[in-house]
Amino acid sequence: MTSMNLSKAEADYFKRFARWKIIVILLTLALILTIAFAVTIGPMQIPPLDVYKIIIKNIPFLGDLVRGGSSSIDEVVVLQVRLPRVLAAAIVGIALAVAGVVLQGLFRNPMADPYLIGISAGASLGASLAIAFGISFSFFGLIYSIPLMAFVFALGTVLLVYSVARTGQGVQMLTLLLVGIAVNSFLLAIMAIVRIVSGDAIHAIMAWLLGSLVASNWDYVKIVLPFVVIGVALIYVFAKDLNIMLLGEEEARHLGVDTERLKRIMLVSATLITAAAVSISGIIGFVGLIVPHIARILVGPDHRILIPSSALAGAIVLILCDTIARTIVRPVELPVGIFTSLLGCPFFIYLLRKRKRSVIW
Amino acid sequence: MVTLRISGIDCYYGSIKALDNVNFSVREGEFVGILGPNGSGKTTVLRSISRVLKPHKGTILIGDENIYEMKTVEVAKQLAVVPQSTPVTFDFTSLEVVLMGRNPHMPRFKMESKEDLAIARNSMELTRTWEFADRPVTELSGGERQRVIIARALTQEPQILLLDEPTTHLDISNQLEIMDLIKHLCKTKKLLIVAVFHDFNLAARYCDSIILLNDGKIVAVGESNETLTSQNVRKVFSVDTIVKKHPITGFLHVIPISKPRNQQQKSLSIHLISGGGTGSPVMKTLLDEGYRVTAGVLNLLDTDQETAQLLKIPTTSEAPFSPITEEAHRANLKMIRKANVLVITPTQFGAGNLKNLNAAETALKEGIPTILLEDGSIEERDFTNGKATNYLTKLKNNGAITVKSTSELVHFLDKLENKNNKNFHQKKEP
Repeated sequence: MTSMNLSKAEADYFKRFARWKIIVILLTLALILTIAFAVTIGPMQIPPLDVYKIIIKNIPFLGDLVRGGSSSIDEVVVLQVRLPRVLAAAIVGIALAVAGVVLQGLFRNPMADPYLIGISAGASLGASLAIAFGISFSFFGLIYSIPLMAFVFALGTVLLVYSVARTGQGVQMLTLLLVGIAVNSFLLAIMAIVRIVSGDAIHAIMAWLLGSLVASNWDYVKIVLPFVVIGVALIYVFAKDLNIMLLGEEEARHLGVDTERLKRIMLVSATLITAAAVSISGIIGFVGLIVPHIARILVGPDHRILIPSSALAGAIVLILCDTIARTIVRPVELPVGIFTSLLGCPFFIYLLRKRKRSVIW
Repeated sequence: MVTLRISGIDCYYGSIKALDNVNFSVREGEFVGILGPNGSGKTTVLRSISRVLKPHKGTILIGDENIYEMKTVEVAKQLAVVPQSTPVTFDFTSLEVVLMGRNPHMPRFKMESKEDLAIARNSMELTRTWEFADRPVTELSGGERQRVIIARALTQEPQILLLDEPTTHLDISNQLEIMDLIKHLCKTKKLLIVAVFHDFNLAARYCDSIILLNDGKIVAVGESNETLTSQNVRKVFSVDTIVKKHPITGFLHVIPISKPRNQQQKSLSIHLISGGGTGSPVMKTLLDEGYRVTAGVLNLLDTDQETAQLLKIPTTSEAPFSPITEEAHRANLKMIRKANVLVITPTQFGAGNLKNLNAAETALKEGIPTILLEDGSIEERDFTNGKATNYLTKLKNNGAITVKSTSELVHFLDKLENKNNKNFHQKKEP
């Protein structure tokens, strides 16, 4: 019965594993190029070659290969401003896109995004409180009250939503969704009060809400990176189970997926990476909603390729948008969220019209 | 050697009891069907076995292991489920969906191997889905998709297969093909199969034994000829049926007759003179309309006699193929006198049943309204050299009414019924 002569359909099936590898390699190259491009752009004119020299000089072991000095101001700009900002954009992009894939898969709902179950509302409230009342405390000797408040409130909100939606039988995804919507509205009402009493701080709050990477520095990168790396890795481990989950929860269980455990792991991971991202970037829309759809159109619905390609595409998209946001109207910086939507939506609609595979969502 | 033993399970949806002390066991190579009305708990039985709804009481064992103490993946290696329908909010290809059946057998970090693919291909060839292996399931018809889901279940290489009305979405040819395949696998691969059915005849045809379920309780278990009796079906479904071995297929055949309409009982009682099947549709119509019906004289084995028996209509009867005796004739007259209206259907008249027309003549003389259901073919039906025609003409001349169809008959009877009721009230009032 096991014929070793593969038919066309079988051969095609195995070809796709090779194709997946190529997709990941190409997207990784594209990401590296995007980073390389983004670090050369900025209000201060520094020749690209100098930028790369500065960066390579500071990489251990490779540093010795580069000769020639550059001004210390250039070094500060490249190393302390541009590089951490570009990397922060990459990390936030990865986090939002992967969380979007996970929630869309888990809820089997094309409208799902990383903010669905209260993360954005929680984070917004936390950040607004910190800004409005100047709450400040130190954390391992660092003072980042806004990110910390955003992170804590985001996690707290999801925890609240989750525990309200939970019953003895486990968590019903629909209940979770509805509780999420209710809690979101509730927190937004409180936010409105905070904004009214916040006086002049309202501008800072509005800016934070639109999302921006302007405050990025190496500390941000170092703190957020572990969350995102661990979270995304954990999610990827269960990529196959997420595929099966698309057939419905009961069927997934029939196919050997421990659905309650899967939901727990996925929700915790997605929440952690989103909260970490939001805490340093504010609420950046679109990336978590539409990058997964774009990736789905391009590589298909299998999460084993969908997750890595969404992650890489999310990073690329956010770096590009952030680069535009910080340079297009010099010297003013525009919120990056404006560009993610302004550029991403037409592109997404173009892909929807052009798609070959029948995509229900 | 795999066995499935369900002992004493109670299941609840919230506070509503869906299953009440359900017990049964199935051996490998055995095909068990579950039948019952909507809401009787058929699907709940499957849901409890497939670990979707945990019973409050009782145990479900695969071999010696309690399925609720096994790991999800261990259960999935042995047990596959084909649900009624599968949501299609995804655009996986048929092959991708079928390959998901390999999930319980695959290590977490492995991609599908050639062996996995060979197994998937084999089950897709068996279900004739290989030809659209690379088509997205969203583009398939309901029947094609269901066959893909069955292929997926087979790809799990289970020892136990649970099917929830597996062929509801399929046309008749696909139904038989899929059921034949499942039956074949049951016998050759010693698969243990529990399937929920809506269709008695499909169940009777394929199942080794049948469980009849009502209100969450088992009403009957056993081979189809023991469980699918007219009595059991009436008890569970409140539908009258004829259960027969089909002359050609040899399978048990359940033919539904009627679900008694909740018509208000009418006051008129109607006697039918009929035969040869001409009275059968009239009997059913009049009963449905709420009239009391009697009939006679009918020969045993006559179609109308069998129908009357099935519909529980009182009759005067005569031995098969025999002329009406004086005794039967008198009994019939007695029956006619109790009726308010006499109806004669367009049956054939010969020497044997001419006495029935004689009875009609007597009845009409005694003032019992008589109605002739006519189709204009008296001559063709008269095998008495005109005697029957004479009788009928005489009846008409003496005031018998002629109607052309059953609906006209019903219309006329309704008028009589109303008049009768009015008279009844007028008599009472003064």
